[in-house]
Amino acid sequence: MLDPFHQPDFEAYLDEALPVEEMTRIEKALRDDPSLARQLAAILARRDSGVISLGEVWRRHRLSCPTRQELGSFLLGVLPDDAAKYLTFHLEVAWCPSRIARPEGLTIP
Amino acid sequence: MSASSSETLLISRIRAGEPDAWNEVIARYEGRLLGFVARRVITQAAAEDLVQETFVGFLNSLPNYDPDQSLEGYLFSIAAHKLTDLLRHEGRRPTLPLIAEESSDGWQPVDRGRCASSIVRSHERHGLEETALVNALGEMIDHWRRQGQWERLQCIELLWVRGWSNKEVAAQLSISEQTVANYKFETIARLRSAVRGQGLPEEVFPELYP
Repeated sequence: MLDPFHQPDFEAYLDEALPVEEMTRIEKALRDDPSLARQLAAILARRDSGVISLGEVWRRHRLSCPTRQELGSFLLGVLPDDAAKYLTFHLEVAWCPSRIARPEGLTIP
Repeated sequence: MSASSSETLLISRIRAGEPDAWNEVIARYEGRLLGFVARRVITQAAAEDLVQETFVGFLNSLPNYDPDQSLEGYLFSIAAHKLTDLLRHEGRRPTLPLIAEESSDGWQPVDRGRCASSIVRSHERHGLEETALVNALGEMIDHWRRQGQWERLQCIELLWVRGWSNKEVAAQLSISEQTVANYKFETIARLRSAVRGQGLPEEVFPELYP
């Protein structure tokens, strides 16, 4: 069974900040389920009214994304273990916006 | 033009896994690469991504690097390829997301026009509020990283960025739901304090005042 959607998934969808397969899954779900489209409209209305979502801000400003130095050290295999473990999590589970922008470029060692 | 002896040495040091050598490459070329791509893409974020991707591409292709080519030329050729890919990708993207109108059977472009209530809050004010939140969140994240509080960082990232429930986060991180709740409670308390300290309106941050 596929994972259910969460509110930030729709926020990221509107910003085109999801992996391609996830963008496609949401696009399809939106066509099949009108209630999801209403959810999307509610997010737009909320944004228009100036309400700020923590997740949106976090993602948009890439607050936990690796620096070039960290990413380089990671790819060279010299980042400390705990930081490397977090970075793997950030790329794989948290859907790092930098990686989603160009998924083909980053080969995780 | 072939790599100079200093470039050859630099590349040998990177291959040996010396972080200082890598930092030197970034310091030498980051600015010029950013200048090169920033003139050709719309946003600064896209330019930053491209430069990041160029460096990543360089590291991934390091085993095949030909010393007959200068490092600068090599980096800029990677950047040019990435730029071409991006522009092709942008060209294929739909420019308007589609949502179903409640009263219609078909699909309509989202109406981006602002309703009357939406102009109450100025862009400038909104920008100040967002900046304050970015600063508060950024300081907290930096603090967790410096202290090695990776579990807490992962927990809050999954809760807010991915929107997972306490239960889902607990299962992913193999921690108790109580621990997740504690992390969340403490983080919200710190952010509330930061928001109050800067005199920001609470209604703008509903997640902090559920």
